Amino acid sequence: MNAQAKETTLRFYKERLLCVLVHIQEHLDEPLPLELLGRLACLSPHHFHHVFTGMLGESLGCHVRRLRLERAAWRLKLSQTPVVQIAFEAGYETHEAFSRAFRKAFGLSPVQFRRRNGVSSRIQIPSGVHYQDRRRLRDFRAAQIEDKSMNVTIKILKPMRVAFMRHVGPYNQVGKTWEQFTMLLGKDGRLGAGPQFIGICHDDPAVTPPDKIRYDACITVDQNFRACGEIGLQRIPGGPYAVLTHFGPYEKLGGSYAKLLGQWLPRSGRRLRATPCLEIYLNSPENTEPEDLITDIHAPLET
Amino acid sequence: MKSQENTQTQTSITTMTTKLDLYKLHKAEYLAPREPVLVRTKPAQYLAIAGQGAPGGPRFTACIGALYGAAFTIKMTRKFAGKGDYAVCKLEGQWFFDGQPDTTSKEAWKWELMIRTPDFISQNDLKTAVATLLKRGKSREIEEVTLETIAEGVCVQMLHVGPYEKECETIALMRTFAQANGLKLSGPHHEIYLSDPRRVPPDRLKTILRQPTVKQKS
Repeated sequence: MNAQAKETTLRFYKERLLCVLVHIQEHLDEPLPLELLGRLACLSPHHFHHVFTGMLGESLGCHVRRLRLERAAWRLKLSQTPVVQIAFEAGYETHEAFSRAFRKAFGLSPVQFRRRNGVSSRIQIPSGVHYQDRRRLRDFRAAQIEDKSMNVTIKILKPMRVAFMRHVGPYNQVGKTWEQFTMLLGKDGRLGAGPQFIGICHDDPAVTPPDKIRYDACITVDQNFRACGEIGLQRIPGGPYAVLTHFGPYEKLGGSYAKLLGQWLPRSGRRLRATPCLEIYLNSPENTEPEDLITDIHAPLET
Repeated sequence: MKSQENTQTQTSITTMTTKLDLYKLHKAEYLAPREPVLVRTKPAQYLAIAGQGAPGGPRFTACIGALYGAAFTIKMTRKFAGKGDYAVCKLEGQWFFDGQPDTTSKEAWKWELMIRTPDFISQNDLKTAVATLLKRGKSREIEEVTLETIAEGVCVQMLHVGPYEKECETIALMRTFAQANGLKLSGPHHEIYLSDPRRVPPDRLKTILRQPTVKQKS
């Protein structure tokens, strides 16, 4: 991949996120649903959040909260509006909650901040994106690849025929679905050294309400397998995938997704395909300590 | 996929159920320090399959497939019948060498691959699982899987970190240690594979080496 193509890709993703960042700044008082922001970025919701977190160095939720706090600081300084009112406008229901968050961010209470001159109303962030009062945001610094040893490979997967069980609900309960699913397949002699265990997360636990998260537990099966009862059959699309191996507990997968989609991808010269990412589990949590778990994260790429 | 933000409210997939884990139950038999130690092992039941050939070769791979097929089918059949659950243990292997292994002809190496299995698993459980797997069209190796009890008694044991080829250095330490304790290494060399060689780089592979012993004649 030549340098120019990589530059074009970085610009492509930056422009997409810039549309979103501008929209957020202009609609700070409104709900900012993921679907809408993803649409603005022309990315599917399940990819959007990771690209955002990786490129900006903070999650969407943190970003919005930070901008609201910066705006509050700005208003404290330049207006006479009562603190309670400013707290309310920043999305806090109580003065106490606002004060706590404000002190954490600026090291001063809102009242102290208002009295003191020369304190910046900005919270330091590598992306350089701050609350803009009337000016339009024009650019931001995309996060660099912080882990130089990050090893991403491109793999061409063949389409996979998988049996699956859909889990709808909190992500921390997908284990129950796996227990049920592996029991049903295992008693029929469909488990062993060959079948692969794959997870498809259609939603992001960081931004989707827990009871609405959809996750498919998948196991590869042969041509003779037929869907039955709770167990469905689907075909996972083949083609190129960017693969990053995540070592360690499943709780920390989010960080690896953000590195792959938000740091590696924009600088790779490649673009995402609008199908979900895959998690291929290479060992079993049943007989492996969480820190020794190995998961290959697969992000689908355009050819 | 999990977010870092939600970790307080979310637990891992790993902690969903507490099930019988033989390695934890018999913790004292799985000590793995970086120095040799003596462990006293009780007779233990294993699913096992014996063979000959180079590690990683076609026969070896087919035997691993058969062994895991049997292990999972037995476990899940019992679980489905409401007879309780347990964790399938790690892969283990015994290696049968006369003296030093001949690294120039790995095809001649003889081994037995094993998975430790709870005592309540019966020959009948194995028979049922084999029938299920044959019905699924699994390869004939599945019929070679046996359920057997292995008694190793007092063993010298330690953790080997690094490629399998360098085990001889660790074994030399174990031999010296045995001698210092009035023992002699005997019986087949036993390995418990804690890491997956397909994914973990050779220098980080962790393997418990176990060597049964006999009293040294004075």
